[in-house]
Amino acid sequence: MNSTLRLVLVLTLITAGAGLILSMVESVTREPIAEQRRLETLRALKTVLPAFDNSPDADTVQLVYGQDKRGRELQRTFFRGRQGSEIAGIAFQVIAPDGYSGNITMMVGIDSEGTVVGLEILSHAETPGLGDKITREEFKGQFKGKTLQGVDWRVKKDGGAFDQITGATISPRAVVKAVHKGLQFYHEHRQDILTSERVGQ
Amino acid sequence: MSLLENFKKGLWRENAVFRLLLGLCPTLAVTTSAENGVAMGLATTFVLVGSNVVVSMLRKVIPGKVRIPAFIVIIASFVTVVQLCMEAYFYDLYKALGIFIPLIVVNCLILGRAEAFASKNRLLPATVDGLGMGTGFTLALFVLGAVRELFGSGTLLGYAVFGSGYQPLILMILPPGAFIAMGLLLAAMNLFDARRR
Repeated sequence: MNSTLRLVLVLTLITAGAGLILSMVESVTREPIAEQRRLETLRALKTVLPAFDNSPDADTVQLVYGQDKRGRELQRTFFRGRQGSEIAGIAFQVIAPDGYSGNITMMVGIDSEGTVVGLEILSHAETPGLGDKITREEFKGQFKGKTLQGVDWRVKKDGGAFDQITGATISPRAVVKAVHKGLQFYHEHRQDILTSERVGQ
Repeated sequence: MSLLENFKKGLWRENAVFRLLLGLCPTLAVTTSAENGVAMGLATTFVLVGSNVVVSMLRKVIPGKVRIPAFIVIIASFVTVVQLCMEAYFYDLYKALGIFIPLIVVNCLILGRAEAFASKNRLLPATVDGLGMGTGFTLALFVLGAVRELFGSGTLLGYAVFGSGYQPLILMILPPGAFIAMGLLLAAMNLFDARRR
């Protein structure tokens, strides 16, 4: 009995000590981590939006764009970049679920006319050396200047307007499809996004 | 065994990767570039030294029956500290190493050293053992990463080595390339040892 008690006591003390240390480290790093995540979003916004002078990550609109498997609502955040009070451009995240391995998360930026200004890949797990070339400028750059209407939103192999990557067609196909869907959603809800009061953050 | 001997054994004779063949999962997975290899090696070294120190200090307090859960709690705490600090201060590296940081917990090298060495030795030898083993692990990951990066992308630490005409051998940065590079390096080390004897 005595030895069992000792086992329990020692293990409890060790885990309590570990918990104490971890909570201290967590409280020290919480701020810098939140800041890093914010900076990452801001960096992406700067590359995909036309010039702006507000902080788009504090000027957002959230809209429901679908439901997940359990019936919960999926929200999409639209970041509004402004020059003075005029909206210069809108940025939003899209996720391609059909990449070669896992989701591809991207930030798409468009100007007030609906023309794509830039595309930034935020996270992906595509094959190094093949599918991961979607992060290269040669690939991302071809989205610049494209509009929803008048452009065939498919890769060239499927008869569309976008170059695929040698040896990797699945990743570019997924990216093109996701951006296309995002643009369609934007055009359907254009009024809401441009005019509604700022929400969140 | 002198302290110097104790440190040096981790570098070659008992090198974690090339001699003990421990911790191969992260080794093979993250060594797509020299930089990733070094980063993973340093993170592992930090955890290894930390866990060796604490395990050695508590070796008379921890009852044998619960030593494994106690070691795991200690190791997991150090890993979480590394993960939080990396995310806060080295965000790009954190994104590159991703899932493999939490997986340091299950790196058998660390539990192995806690069990085989730190729990039986005083503080100083245990610390030196952790440093030596960690340095050897880091060096091994650097060499493996450098070889794979050199042939797989034609660069070393991000700088182009071969001319622009070089066609990268993509296989080397894919998973099979890890096994191939590892096998060739092991063979080279064995050959070297056999010659020296």
